[in-house]
Formats: sequence, C-alpha cells, structure tokens
Amino acid sequence: MSIGKGILEIKNLSKSFIVDNNPLQVLNDINITIPPGNFVSIIGSSGCGKTTLLRIVLGLETNYEGDALIDGEQIEGPGINRGIVFQDHRLLPWLTVGENVAFGLDGKSRKETEVIVDEHLKLVGLNGFKSAYPCQLSGGMAQRAAIARALANKPEILLLDEPLGSLDAMTRMHMQKELERIWLFEKITMILVTHDVEEAIYLGDKVVIMSSRPGVIKKIIDIPFTRPRDRSSYEFMQIKSEILEEFHLGVEHPFIYSI
Amino acid sequence: MSKSLLKRFEWKDKLLAFIVPLLVLVAWQSAVSLQLFSEMILVPPLTVMNTLVDLARTGDLTNNIISSLKRVLSGFLLGASTGFFLGLLMGLSSLLDRFVGPLIKACKQVPQFALMPLIILWFGIDEVSKVVFISIGAFFPMVFNTYQGVSGVPKKYRELARVFNYKSFRYLTKVILPGALPSIITGVRHSLGLSWMFVVGAELFGSESGVGYMMVWARQLFQIDIVMAGLFVIGIIGFTMNIILQIIEKRVLRWRVSFDGRMA
Repeated sequence: MSIGKGILEIKNLSKSFIVDNNPLQVLNDINITIPPGNFVSIIGSSGCGKTTLLRIVLGLETNYEGDALIDGEQIEGPGINRGIVFQDHRLLPWLTVGENVAFGLDGKSRKETEVIVDEHLKLVGLNGFKSAYPCQLSGGMAQRAAIARALANKPEILLLDEPLGSLDAMTRMHMQKELERIWLFEKITMILVTHDVEEAIYLGDKVVIMSSRPGVIKKIIDIPFTRPRDRSSYEFMQIKSEILEEFHLGVEHPFIYSI
Repeated sequence: MSKSLLKRFEWKDKLLAFIVPLLVLVAWQSAVSLQLFSEMILVPPLTVMNTLVDLARTGDLTNNIISSLKRVLSGFLLGASTGFFLGLLMGLSSLLDRFVGPLIKACKQVPQFALMPLIILWFGIDEVSKVVFISIGAFFPMVFNTYQGVSGVPKKYRELARVFNYKSFRYLTKVILPGALPSIITGVRHSLGLSWMFVVGAELFGSESGVGYMMVWARQLFQIDIVMAGLFVIGIIGFTMNIILQIIEKRVLRWRVSFDGRMA
C-alpha cells in the first residue's frame, strides 16, 4: 500500500465524561491504526462510544487520555483534513444546496468555488439542484448534499456518523452503493459508524466491533471480498452471522432440513 | 384541484376579512340613525369620512402624519438598534445574559407610559423626550426577539460551524444571524408597531404637531369627528406598516417555505 496522507493512529485511547458528578468511562484503551485509503466500519450497540470515538477524531472532543494521531500529529481540534457527515444532514436551511456545499470552502475565489461545487454536486448525483433549498430535498438527496459538502474541502479522512440511519431500507441500500462509488473515486480514508451489520460488511475493508460500558474494541474482522459485494453470497452471510454472534444475536441451533 | 380554483379560494379567504368590519360599520351607522347615541358623541361613519377628506384637503392631516412618522422613525431606529445589539450580545454570551437579562425582564414589567413624566423631567418637553419615549417602546420587543433568535440557533449548526473552523465574523454572518433572522424580523415588526402606538402616546404631552396632537386638540374643542378620523388614520398606518413588513419577511425568509411540489 502506498504511503499516502491520512493515516489515523489511535493508541491507548480512553475517554470519560462526568455525569451527575461521577466519571463515566465511555472509551477504554482503544487501539487501532487505519492506513490511508481504507474503508473501516465501526459497529456496536448504542452506548458503546462509537460516536464519541468519531467525535474525538473529528476534534470536537479534545479531553481524552492516550493518543489520537493523524499523520503523526495529535488531534487537538477540528481541521479541514477531516470531513464529517452526520446522521441528520445538517444542511443549513437558509442556504441553497450549492451554498451548503460551499459552506466549508474558505479563501477561494468565486470562480473556484463554483467549479468545486459543481464538481461535487455532480459526484453525488445532485446536478440541477444547486439553487434548491434543503426543505425541497428528500432525505436521501439531503444526505447526498451533506456528503458533497464534506468532500468539497478534499479531506484526507471522511467520517460518517450513521449517515444512512434515517433513510428507508431501499434508499439506504442505494446510498451504500453510492458511498462505495464515491469512496473508489476519491480514494480517501472513510470511517463509518453504523449499527447496521450488513452495511458495515458491504462497505468495510475492516469491521471493528465495539462493545459497551465501557466502550472497548471487541474484535476487528477483515472483509476480504472483492467489490462490488454480493449481500446474498454464502461468504457474506457467514461473516454476517459471525458478527451477529458477537452480539448474541446468532441463531443458536440452525436447523435446516429438506425432504 | 386546479390551480385557478385554488387561487379563487384564496381570494375568497381575503374577502372574508371584510365582512366583520362592514357589519360593524352598518351597526355603527344604524346606532346613530336610530338615535341610540347622540351624533355629538358617536359621529356617524360618513361624517368621519367627510372630515377625513377635509383634513386631507387642507394638508393638515399630511403634515401631522409626516411629523408623527418622523418621530416614529428616529425613536424606532434608536430603540430597535440598541435592542438588537444588546439582544445579540446577550444571545452570544451567557455571562452577559446572566448579568443583565433579569434586569431587562424586570424593567419590561414596568408600564412604560408611567415613565413619561420622568422622561419629560430628564429630557425636556420637546422632541428629544418623545423620541426617547418611543425608543423605549421599540427597545423591548427587539431585545427579547433578537436574544431568543440568537440563543435559539440550534447547537447542531454551531457545531457544524466549529467543524469547518468558522471564526467570529464569518460565524456571525453565515450562521448566527441567518439562523436568528426569523425571530429578528418578528422583533422588528413588533418594535415598529409599538413605536407607532407610542408616538400617539408621546404626542398627548405638550406637542405641536402629529396625529396624537391633532386628536388631543380636537377632543378639547369637542370635535369628536376629528378624534375618530385620527383613530382611523392610526389604524390604517399601523396596518400598512405591518403588511409591508410581512411582505419583506416573506421575501427574506424564502427558505422557510416548505416543499411546494414544484419539483414533483
């Protein structure tokens, strides 16, 4: 693998919040290295600290123990080398789609901005919606616009915090394909937090399984399949049941019989 | 439903608003015609109309309206801008909010008309005291609405601005102010409305021009038709100001209109 930019190293990372005057440990001794250009899915039940982990990488939570390094430098706050797509699209309702995509661009000429916005709207398949307002978009379209906004700054790492969580099942599957296409095109590191096992396997080079209270990494599973992946293939299903097993959701006595 | 049919319904809706005023006018005229009240006390609507036309013809009315509007404008600009900046600062800094917020809320409870004698004592009987009085009326709705708008900008948008490294000026103009705008415009509307009410109040005290002055003077001469004409003028102007601001509001807050099916 080429040594590109955007290597994320997390070493002995712990984080606790103060809740009702008592410390509550949300992350405990997290260790993971994500090489540039990788797609990593993080999965875990709610309360396992996966969103906190993402917020630390993003730079919104700065008070942690251990190391969180990007290209060897400690994360001390937000920066344009990281982009984020939240579960709610968070488009500013008073800006048009085009203006929203340009939201993170700073110090660019009007012409440059225009070019970048058009390019990214095209990438996410929203050309023609530049002057629409967010209230005129469907959930999936709004999330596409949010992805375009996150990518417009050319981040080295794109963080995805359950970005498809609020979409209906069909739109979600379609958007998973779109995410894969965008990832293959942009060749940047993407870290996806999700609670959808299938989504995690479909998109991830690696699936990181976290368990809660305190949040620890329970297992990291490599997904060796070629892309695009077949959700209904035997191998896919097998990894899926292996992961579900980790959450004690596997079928205890699979019993198949035929006459 | 076809579009033209929809339009006709809207048109009918607007007509509905005229029914009650018309009934009131009819009741008013019949009360006088049936001699339930003396014409001296309840002047019939047609007489009021004639008086209005007469006042307009002599130019008295226009002059009085202009001098009232001038006071409203200066008082509004002074009070609303002070209210805006203070509301903005309070919305941005919770420390300042805790310092002065309760004080301002307490002051709001004092009936502002009760301040008039003090204001006259401090600023004299002429223009300055009137402008100060109006500005007090304009100040309160502006400070509260601006504060509410600014502090009400959702945390998720503030966080977004942080993610994209937005600093002071850019943060203010791109995130905070647009987010607070609906509330700020409501503030402007109430502020201007109150200014217009306060000007009439201010002109009751030692004034030589203005719609309020015209009414006080007429009352002393027992020209009730002029008093009523004055009431009518005040109502119409206040109503017009509100409509103009609503049109501006619709324009500025285009993004708030929900999905209208244009792209379906």
